[in-house]
Amino acid sequence: MMAQSTMRWRYLKQKIFFGVVRLSALIISLALFGILAYIFFHGFRAITWDFLTLSPTDSMTAGGIMPAIVGTLYLTVGAIAVALPLGIVSAIYLTEYAKQGRWVRIIRIGVNCLAGVPSVVFGLFGLGFFVVFLKFGSSILAGSLTLGILILPTIIGASEEALKAVPQTFREASLALGVSKWQTISRIVLPSALPGILTGAILGVGRAAGETAPIMFTAAAFFTAALPKSIFDEVMALPYHIYVLATAGTNIEMTRPLQYGTALVLIALVLGIDLIAIVIRSSMRRKKRW
Amino acid sequence: MENNVIIKTRNVDFYYGSFRALTDVTMDFEQNRVTALIGPSGCGKSTLLRLLNRMNDLIDGTRVEGEILFEGRNIYAPDVDPVEIRRRIGMVFQKPNPFPKSIFNNVTYAPKLSGITNKAELETLAEQSLRQAVLWDEVKDILSRSAMTLSGGQQQRLCIARALAMKPDILLMDEPTSALDPISTAKIEELIDELKRLYTIIIVTHNMQQAARVSEYTGFFYIGKLIEFNNTEKIFTNPAVKQTEDYITGRFG
Repeated sequence: MMAQSTMRWRYLKQKIFFGVVRLSALIISLALFGILAYIFFHGFRAITWDFLTLSPTDSMTAGGIMPAIVGTLYLTVGAIAVALPLGIVSAIYLTEYAKQGRWVRIIRIGVNCLAGVPSVVFGLFGLGFFVVFLKFGSSILAGSLTLGILILPTIIGASEEALKAVPQTFREASLALGVSKWQTISRIVLPSALPGILTGAILGVGRAAGETAPIMFTAAAFFTAALPKSIFDEVMALPYHIYVLATAGTNIEMTRPLQYGTALVLIALVLGIDLIAIVIRSSMRRKKRW
Repeated sequence: MENNVIIKTRNVDFYYGSFRALTDVTMDFEQNRVTALIGPSGCGKSTLLRLLNRMNDLIDGTRVEGEILFEGRNIYAPDVDPVEIRRRIGMVFQKPNPFPKSIFNNVTYAPKLSGITNKAELETLAEQSLRQAVLWDEVKDILSRSAMTLSGGQQQRLCIARALAMKPDILLMDEPTSALDPISTAKIEELIDELKRLYTIIIVTHNMQQAARVSEYTGFFYIGKLIEFNNTEKIFTNPAVKQTEDYITGRFG
């Protein structure tokens, strides 16, 4: 028999531990909520129809941010278009084809290192390689490629996890029917892994849309009223626009509401793209449950 | 007698890395018969089964010595395509493993990829395979429903139907009823009895009554060696080797 007081002490410890866990969850939620609320309250007054549909005027102290919205949309979609196919193919190679051993370990370390490289380094690489060496100039193309490489590790990592989560029995079942390895991967493994891969893409979208440093030298224009006509044009972008208004604008204090408004639009844009991906993912999950 | 042998192993050794899982296994499998492989866990019976359709190729660091002759040809010869072998030697696994697709698409998955595109032909094939697996009456009205909604026993029969749809010569079964309840098990055993008219069946089982019920021949394995291989009746009533007797009477294993 356990002494009564020992039991009570155990329950107390349990309560304390659960309390700490709850508190951590609460702090994290509060931090997120706090940031969102702060930006919302400072920015929502700036949001008007004109703000969303017009170009900046009066040395960017008035008018809208439409070119930046369009620019960020292009850059984000471009980055995903670059990184998703490349990332999925790399992950397939690493999990399905490559013989597990030293070589694959080295590649994985490389990918993880890439994830840890500061984003400004990607910006400089993009400037040197895409803008100057390949002569793309400061353009949507160069910016998308740079952002694509930046989010590649995220997408490879998520895709690898998703592929590994597909039960081995599916592969065996398919191969045992005399179906080739490639057909097995494309018909069984990849469709089952797609929801997980999409999660990686969602994370990638958030990162690509929000980064400033990588596009600073490769794609973003300080100001351009015109919308881009081709992928070789420069664009304005939301994060860079915020940066410009807050550090190099003609009237930094006066444009604070515009800065918060732009930040609010950026967050809404990322959430919007995420929402679309989440809806697609959950409809896929319904079909592909095992 | 020798003419009816469809697949045979000759002095087969098999290694996982440096671990030898099979030693000098020589066996003949007769056409349209059920051969059971029995023995305690880790004795190599499943390994041998997976060698017969080259499923062990999927595991890194394995090595086969000796020959496995299917219709007189060594299936481990360098010019043999394992995909081709697996089309002709189907397999059913321990746990039912249908794809997360509809019942119809599960059955027609492999035939479609092997080039049958005609819808009517696929429908006929699906019905035929599901009938052979004695599942048709239960699923004919729900063919478009996900295979995951079926019961375990139904799923296993679906897996059998899926294998039969490729019209294989040999059907390998790796403990096909060990995850099923007694009623589903009885159904699968009845099915095996039907199927041997059309197919050669090689079954690994932990259930000795099952081996006695369904098979004509039984091979007993112990620590990677084929200890005794004979008529099932002989093995279960009058085994020649003491180890076999000890195992089937439940003295070890």
